[in-house]
Amino acid sequence: MWVSLDDTGLLVRGAADGDEAAWRGLVTRFSGLVWAVARAHRLAHADAADVYQTTWLRLAEHIGRIDHPDRVGAWLATAARRECLQSLRSAAKTAPTDDMDRLDTAPAEGNPTEEAVLAAETEREDAERAATMWRAFARLSGRCRELLRVLMASPPPSYAEVAAALELPLGSIGPTRGRCLQRLREEMAGIRDGLSPST
Amino acid sequence: MQESDNELEAELRRLAADKEPVPAELVQAALDAFGWRDIDAELAELIYDSLADADEASLVRGSPGQRLVSFAVGGMTIDVEVTGAGPGRSVLGQIAPPQRAMVDIRGPQDTVTVEADELGRFRSGPISPGPASLRLRPPPGGDGPAIVTDWISL
Repeated sequence: MWVSLDDTGLLVRGAADGDEAAWRGLVTRFSGLVWAVARAHRLAHADAADVYQTTWLRLAEHIGRIDHPDRVGAWLATAARRECLQSLRSAAKTAPTDDMDRLDTAPAEGNPTEEAVLAAETEREDAERAATMWRAFARLSGRCRELLRVLMASPPPSYAEVAAALELPLGSIGPTRGRCLQRLREEMAGIRDGLSPST
Repeated sequence: MQESDNELEAELRRLAADKEPVPAELVQAALDAFGWRDIDAELAELIYDSLADADEASLVRGSPGQRLVSFAVGGMTIDVEVTGAGPGRSVLGQIAPPQRAMVDIRGPQDTVTVEADELGRFRSGPISPGPASLRLRPPPGGDGPAIVTDWISL
């Protein structure tokens, strides 16, 4: 379901009126963002799942009381952020995790036709690039990992939503993104060239 | 040839969608959340959470595994103490001004109902961790609107 920015306010009002299809539209549009916020805070999977579910339950209860319906993405990002901080403060929760280090295994060998060999080679190159990118990502500073992890949400979040997710000034998002992407390029080049990881 | 920032970001996004998609059961949980909203109930918002106030000193002072949350709507407050940890955790509550009520301790998986006595006190047995919200209903023979609290994560 393709939804324009202007429709977000309509979806909120529709859901507030009890329209389940409007609610589905909101979930489709912002599910990735809420999950990305939880992952950006490096919560263990079970805790991230709790944050995600609690955030959506809160929206359901508040749906008729949202002050700025067209900015509900930022509302969700803020709510998820607060739940993440509570989760991190709770002594009962597990410690932050590095389970973003999981990598795909290499694709299996195919049948030996020329096309299949070329396709397998492309798959291998793609898998290698993905693995390099994922490894390089893990080497970035915490600040860059958080920012990029929220930006990596599907569909892409607005900078206002990213700012709300991490409590950063809106004007800092663009420049920090540029710096972090450049750092990522440098880490990827370092991995390809076989250099030791930067600290 | 170096890719642009936008191309690199798009590639990262595809990577995240491939390696860390939103689990299907969570998307379903988000869809199901719509069914939990209570149109007729008043909403008691979270006004205090001891977790938010936790600094080093209070973490040292307080007993581990204890959490205090407060909700308020109109002239009513609902204080809840969560004691214990893991599957043994239970809640102890106080409604002010004191009044009897039926208290549904709601979670996505199950709902446990307990009764608040004439002093507004209620307690539960073991409850599951995860998202929780209280729903207060008038006691048998009483009337008045239901009250639901903000969802929190226990």
